[in-house]
This record gives sequence, structure tokens and C-alpha cells, in this order.
Amino acid sequence: MSDRLDHDVIIAGAGVVGAAIAWHLARAGVRVAIIDATGPAAAASGASDGAVSVASKKPGVMARLASASLIYTHDLAAQGPLQAAFAARPAHIFGSGAAELAAMDTLAAKLNHLSGRVRVVADGGPDLLSGLGTGVDRLMTLEGEGHMPGHKAVRAYLAAPGITCIWPAPLLGYEVADGFVTVRLADRTLRAGQLVLALGVSSPDLIPGLPIVPRAGQLIVTDRGPVGALSGSLTAAAYLVAKTQDGAALPLLPVVIDPLTSGQYLIGSTREDHGDPTRVDFATLRRLLTRAATVWPALRDRRVIRTFAGVRAAVSDSLPIVGPLPGADRVTIVTGFEGDGICLSALIGREVARMLCGLSPDAALAADLAALSPVRFSKNRIEGAA
Amino acid sequence: MIAQVFWNGRPVPFCEGETLGSALTRAGISDLGRAPTGQARAVFCGIGQCQGCLVRVGTRLTEACLLPCVDGLQAEPDAGGQTDA
Amino acid sequence: MRGDRLMRDSRVLVIGAGLAGLAAAVEIAGAGLPVLVVDQAQAPGGAVHRQPLPGVRSIASGMQRRRWTRLMAQINAQAERIEIRCNTRFGGMDYTGDALLTGDGRALMQPRALVLATGARERVQPRPGWTLPCVTTAGAIQAELKTTAHPPYGRVLLAGSGPLLLAVAAELVRLGRAPVAVIEAGHPFSHPLSALRLPASYLIEAAGYLLRVKAAGVPVLTGAHVLAITPSADGLVVRVNTPRGDRSFGADRIGLHDGIAPNDAGLPVDGPVPVLRLGDCREALGARAALADGRAGGGRLAAQLLGRAAPDPSADLDLQRQAQRRLGAIYAHDGLTRLSDLPSDTVLCRCENRTLADLRALGSNPGARGLRLDGRFGMGPCQGRFCAEWVGRLSTPAGLPLPHIGSNRWPSRPIPISDLVDPSAEGLEP
Ligand SMILES: Cc1cc2nc3c(=O)[nH]c(=O)nc-3n(C[C@H](O)[C@H](O)[C@H](O)COP(=O)(O)OP(=O)(O)OC[C@H]3O[C@@H](n4cnc5c(N)ncnc54)[C@H](O)[C@@H]3O)c2cc1C
Ligand code: FES
Repeated sequence: MSDRLDHDVIIAGAGVVGAAIAWHLARAGVRVAIIDATGPAAAASGASDGAVSVASKKPGVMARLASASLIYTHDLAAQGPLQAAFAARPAHIFGSGAAELAAMDTLAAKLNHLSGRVRVVADGGPDLLSGLGTGVDRLMTLEGEGHMPGHKAVRAYLAAPGITCIWPAPLLGYEVADGFVTVRLADRTLRAGQLVLALGVSSPDLIPGLPIVPRAGQLIVTDRGPVGALSGSLTAAAYLVAKTQDGAALPLLPVVIDPLTSGQYLIGSTREDHGDPTRVDFATLRRLLTRAATVWPALRDRRVIRTFAGVRAAVSDSLPIVGPLPGADRVTIVTGFEGDGICLSALIGREVARMLCGLSPDAALAADLAALSPVRFSKNRIEGAA
Repeated sequence: MIAQVFWNGRPVPFCEGETLGSALTRAGISDLGRAPTGQARAVFCGIGQCQGCLVRVGTRLTEACLLPCVDGLQAEPDAGGQTDA
Repeated sequence: MRGDRLMRDSRVLVIGAGLAGLAAAVEIAGAGLPVLVVDQAQAPGGAVHRQPLPGVRSIASGMQRRRWTRLMAQINAQAERIEIRCNTRFGGMDYTGDALLTGDGRALMQPRALVLATGARERVQPRPGWTLPCVTTAGAIQAELKTTAHPPYGRVLLAGSGPLLLAVAAELVRLGRAPVAVIEAGHPFSHPLSALRLPASYLIEAAGYLLRVKAAGVPVLTGAHVLAITPSADGLVVRVNTPRGDRSFGADRIGLHDGIAPNDAGLPVDGPVPVLRLGDCREALGARAALADGRAGGGRLAAQLLGRAAPDPSADLDLQRQAQRRLGAIYAHDGLTRLSDLPSDTVLCRCENRTLADLRALGSNPGARGLRLDGRFGMGPCQGRFCAEWVGRLSTPAGLPLPHIGSNRWPSRPIPISDLVDPSAEGLEP
């Protein structure tokens, strides 16, 4: 690209998605800069659980993309940037009552159909997992999934050479003209060949009308205890229902207990469409912990040392938005990952980088990636207007 | 009969109204084991702010400097002992 | 998420049964409003009026005892409207106005107003060896003396800066265990003129302490700093830098203290009901100010709740603020600049065992998020009370505002999960 440009590509948003794109571009020799209003992992990526999970995805596009991203995340962790960020670990799903048990049947069928890296290695009664408490009729253990704290992934990606990091620097606006994009920051303007908007829940600030709902989720962190008491995540099957059937009435509280490498537990989460990250309350904490401690009694000996809420960027049709912004040449939008951005980030980073370099997508995923294009909303708008 | 608590099985006398942290200190017991981070556990602030004096009573961790002694109370160092990955 | 709203409680909730909290309770109850005072300690008293164990003779001065007796008489006169629950910990108040109490007085309640009178925390600068057993805050030694009237075992050394060091040293002398040394970073005795502008009560108290300590032959080294504390075959060895060269002292117990600051980690700033900070929790000005602030604040809150005109602000508070400012100037020293010269393996965050080297690995100016997420500073169960200040200073280029790395949201202290999920406490029925 030309010397008239400050950077070949500017990425706005240093969440896990923006960071993954930056890493892939830098590796391809592209001069890339990443800017953020606050800093790395300042929004959802720094306030999320970090399950890299296929089990929780809706069958179809999301499950296939997650499955591919999981395989690729394992690669990047084996010899790549995610070595210290990603940890493989089993995922235990538990259920109680008819609705949750049915959700587990659906899950088994989905995983079988995907034939990816995630396999059911055990399926039976509560005695399958020692330490389990009461309130569990069925337990299923999956192998192949993992955990990746968002802030660790962002830090790992951005540590690579060749990425210019600029923050705190809110993107105030941009213009496309004369074959480049001018990006306006508070104290300067920058020129780039391409602009990527990876702004998470803030995307509508730059692209008004984008159908994004800020969906808050409360999370709880405990103090440290013995490491390894719980071998992997322990997820209520209600969580699968919550994530796969939108608006479904949940049979029970969709709690997830994730053991961290520090010996702490991370417990989540709710789905609250007010999108206010300051709303963290005792009544909710108590409800989440009551189910969590019934199922995993070792939690009774731990203490809560931190609570917070993260805000996910949910899209009206529950699919992320990834692709060139209609009507704005040289601008690509990548957002709307709701509760799945950590999981999908590796694959999306690779594929968006290919897209920006003018390469065609991985053939096996082309159709699924096409389904994420923002074109789907502009069409609706045109039809609506007609 | 003197009222006593047990630290790691060892009897320690206490005065009425005394906290475990105070009774242990008077008995010359200052090393309260190790935190999962490897840091030594010991009384530091003495008033429940620093979390340095956590001990295990049954399965629960609690601040020794805030815990009232009752006759027969059994307390131990935290099992922990692991470091962060 | 919330089907289970609580009934609003008619009581004002006061956190902390020290001078400020109790004085506020007296005023609020005096205006006819019911008050619940909770404290995590075993008995009311707070930092200054920590009570002796039953049967132990109080070491408090006559003036202190009279002040406490008067305050308790006022509390007792309002006994119908004031309930005090000890052994009860405040977990915080959430945005809905729910306040969580754990321990003996477990409850989830919606108070009519919240008074935060959680007192001060001791500031203790990191030093090599400050995490060893037998190294405590000077305040911890003082608390021991007040409750047991017994000096700690063996040779005691006090170090850091501020009037508390001499106060504790004097108590130790009186109880027959003169400290081996007092290591004061400032030069408090080289300011006779400014010292004279302190209120007389300060001067009399301080002079008394100094006389007693000097008479016992205790070396009081000024302009001196602890370089390192190391374990030895018989206790601890403290290496001290003085204006006349380095020295070593053997000790069995070390009390560190570098001043006080509000103990306000994880406390709400406001809420759906009136929230008020009083005493050292608002501004660390010491006992006299806490009493005045508690009274005045309690009166103001009661007036606000009852829709009456607010009483006049207390002039006493300004007086104490001036006095504290002078004291600060008298004790001024260059200790902070020494922070960055610490050996790189010095522990900064005691909870998470994070060192100066870990901090430097974050690069220059990592900001609050970097310090927390990547550095794990301020992420431990003490909620940053003992590291946030130093980590903030060390990681921020001069002239920039210090990052806020402690917690400013509940929990203000760790909440045992069993306390939270077990039924059978007031307001906590499932
Ligand atoms: C409670 C919770 C639990 C979750 N659990 C999981 C999980 O287990 N597994 C999983 O895969 N995903 C999970 N997620 C979802 C995941 O965190 C997100 O999908 C992912 O982090 C989104 O990344 P992002 O890069 O799109 O957005 P973000 O991380 O939100 O990044 C957007 C960035 O843009 C910046 N920005 C905003 N406006 C501007 C501007 N004008 N100029 C410059 N910069 C700006 C922000 O500061 C921010 O850094 C969870 C989310 C939450 C909230
Ligand atoms: S010594 Fe600090 S909490 Fe007990």
C-alpha cells in the first residue's frame, strides 16, 4: 500500500475480536494499528467468563463456526500466541427435571452431528463427578473445550511485533474518500487503506441503526482455594436453553461455575437487557450462588471477593455481524458476538484478516461466514422502506 | 479447668472475649501457614482488614483476628499451598 | 431478575461502632429514628476505644475513659432506639438499596439510610520482609495492648512515620516492655515553631509520650528508614538507614506504620437511600474529629430524613483538619521517593504476592485496568487496601492522576458463600 497512509489497516476496538484481527494482519505483513477509547480489553472482553464452548451454541451456523474456531484456538495455543491464554479443560453439563434433560439430549445429538473436537466422554448420573452435591439428575462430561480469559487473549495477541497500539483514543468519526479512510481521533487524524470497526456494544455509536441490544451479565469471583478441585466448567443445562432458544422460558437458573487456574471460581451469569454494567445486586448473587452451591458444595467454603457485570453486544437475530459495511467502501464491521466472542475470536480474526487481504474465505466456512454479513440488515431496511 | 482452643491440634489457652488471633499471638504462635499464593499467613493489621491471618475452622476460612475463641474450637492452617499458573 | 424485593426497613444502618458511628447513632436516635449499628469486632469501641477483655484493666487515659463513658451513657439513654450488633460484617449495599450483613447479625435489609463509619486503615509502605510473621502494623500492637494490657513477647521495634509510633512506644514502656528502637522517617522534633501552632491537647499528649520513651532510654532515630527485615536464628533482624549510616537491630516483633487513610474500599458513594460517610472513613483526622463529625453528620442526616432544617456545621472539624495538616508537615519525609528504589523482589500486593518486578513488567503507565487484569494488583481479598496506594504511585508518571485500582463496589470485604445461601437469617429466607 502507499506512503500516503499512516497504516494499511486501522482497527477500532481492542477487544478480543479486534486484537485477533490485528495479530493475523500483522503476521501477514500488513501495517496495522489498533485504537481503543479506553485500552485493551476494556469492555466485554475484560468482563466475561471466557468459556471456549461449542456445547452452548445454537445448532447450525453458530455451532459450526464455534467448532471450527475451537479447533483453530487449540492450534494457536499449541504453538502460537494463545499458549498462556487458553487452557483445555473438560466441560461438565448438569441437568435436573424434564426440560434440562431434554436440552442435554439435544446437545448430544448436536455434538454427534458436528463431529468436531468436542466429544461426550461420560453421560450418566451424578456419581460420575465426585464432589457433586444434590439437585443433579444427569451429568454429561465433554472433552475438547477450554477456557480463555478475554484479557489474557487480548494481551497475548497484541504482544506480537508489528502492531501499533493507540489509546486512550476514542474514534470520533471517519470519512471514506480518494481511495483511503480518514479516521478522526480527538488530537489527530489518521489515514488508512481500510478501517475495521470492532467496537462491540458501542458499535451503534458509529453505525446508527445497527440492531444491537446491550445484554448485561453479572459475574462473581471467589477467593482462592485448592487448585483442581473441579476439573472443568460445571454448567446448568438451562444455560444451553438460554443460549440456543431465544426467549425460551428457562426451567431453572442457568448457572455456570468455572474453576480458574488460580484456584478461584468464576460464577455466572444473567442475561439482562438493560445493559447497565453497574447493576449488580445481592438478590441475583444469592440466587446464582444458591443453585451453584447446591450442585457444587465446595463453594460453601469459599468467599465472594468480587462481583461485576459485563455487557454483551446481542443482535436481534442472534448472529454476529461480520463483513464490509454496505455503502461504505473500505470499512468492515465486526461485532455482535454476544456471549460467544471469546470462543469465535480466533476464527473470526483469521477470516476477517483474509477478507481484508482480498483472499477468499476457507471454503468449508464460506456459507456460514456469508450468513454474518451486515447486508442482511440493509436489505430489510430497503424492503421496509419500499 | 482452663478454657482452650486448638491450633493444629495443639491446645492454646485463651481469656474470655479474646480472638483467636490474640490467643495465638500470646502463645507465641505467629506463623499461620501459607496462602495459596505462597505468601506467609500471619496477623498483620489485627483488625480484619488485610486478610493475612486467614485460618481454617472446619472447612471455612476465616480471619483469626476477628474470630472469637470458644472452648474447644479447632483451627488449622489453610490447606492451600498452590501457586497461580 | 428480581422477584423478591425486600420491605424497606425503618432503621438507619450505621456501619462501625467507633466514635463516629456511635456519635451519629446518638444524634439520629435522639431525633426519634431507630438505628442499627453493626461492627465486625467483638465489642464497640473502634480503633481508639477498643475495650479491654473482661477482667482486664483498661490502659486508656483518664480523658479517653471519660469520653467513652459519656458516649456509652448517651447510647444507653437511647437504648430503645439503638441496637448494636457486633461480630457482624457489612458486605456492601447494592444499587437497589439492599444491604448485606453477615456473621452474627446476618441479614439482607433495605435500610432507610446508610452511615459509613468504618474508620481508617493503616498505611504501611512496602519494605523487604514486611510480609514475615511477627511483622504487623503498629496499630495491631496497640490493639493487643488495649485488649490484653500485656506487651507482646520479646523485643519490639516500631518503624515508619507518624505520632502513633511514639504513642505505642510510650504504652510499651508503661507496660514494662520498652521497645528496642523507634525508627521515624520524618524529623518531627526539628520544627519547634510550627509544632507550637498545634492545639495544646496534641502537644501535651505528644510531649508526655516522648518524655516517657526518652526516659526509658529508647533510641528514637529520626530521618531513619527500614531497609530490610530478615529472619534470623533468634527472631528478626532489621536493617535501618539513618542520616549517620546504616544500623541493625534484633527484634521479635515489629510494628510498621506510615499514617492512616480512610478505610473505604468497596463502600458505596451513593445509593437509592441517603449514604453518608463519617469520621476517619470520610477523612482520616483522628478521634476528636471523628466524634465531632459523627455528631454533626448524624444530626444532619436526621434532619434530612425528617425534613427539618440542617444544624450548623461543626467548627471543631476545621480545627482538627488544620491540626492534622500541621502534623503532616511536621512529619514530612522523603519515604515515598524510596519506593522506586526498593529491591525488585519486594512484595507490593500481599494478597496476590505480586512484586515490584511484576509491576515493572507491565510497562509504563499500565492504567487501572492493566494493573488489575494483567498485573493482578488490587485483586485480592483485602480489596486493595494495602497495595493500591503504592502500586498507583509507582506505576503512574509524575503529574498524572493516580489510577483507582482498589475496589469501589461491593463486596467491601469477602462474603462467605455459606452465609449468603443458608436460610434462617432475617431477610435471607429463600
Ligand atoms: C458476562 C459475560 C460472559 C461472557 N462469557 C463468554 C464466554 O464464556 N465465552 C465466550 O466466548 N464469550 C463470552 N462472552 C462474550 C465475549 O466477552 C464477547 O463476545 C467478546 O468479548 C466481544 O469482543 P469484541 O472485541 O467484539 O468487543 P469488546 O471486547 O466489547 O471490545 C470493543 C472495544 O471497543 C472500544 N471502543 C468502544 N467505542 C470506541 C470508540 N468510539 N473508539 C475507540 N474504541 C472504542 C471499547 O473500549 C472496547 O475495548 C461473555 C460476555 C459477558 C458480558
Ligand atoms: S490480621 Fe489483618 S485481617 Fe486479621
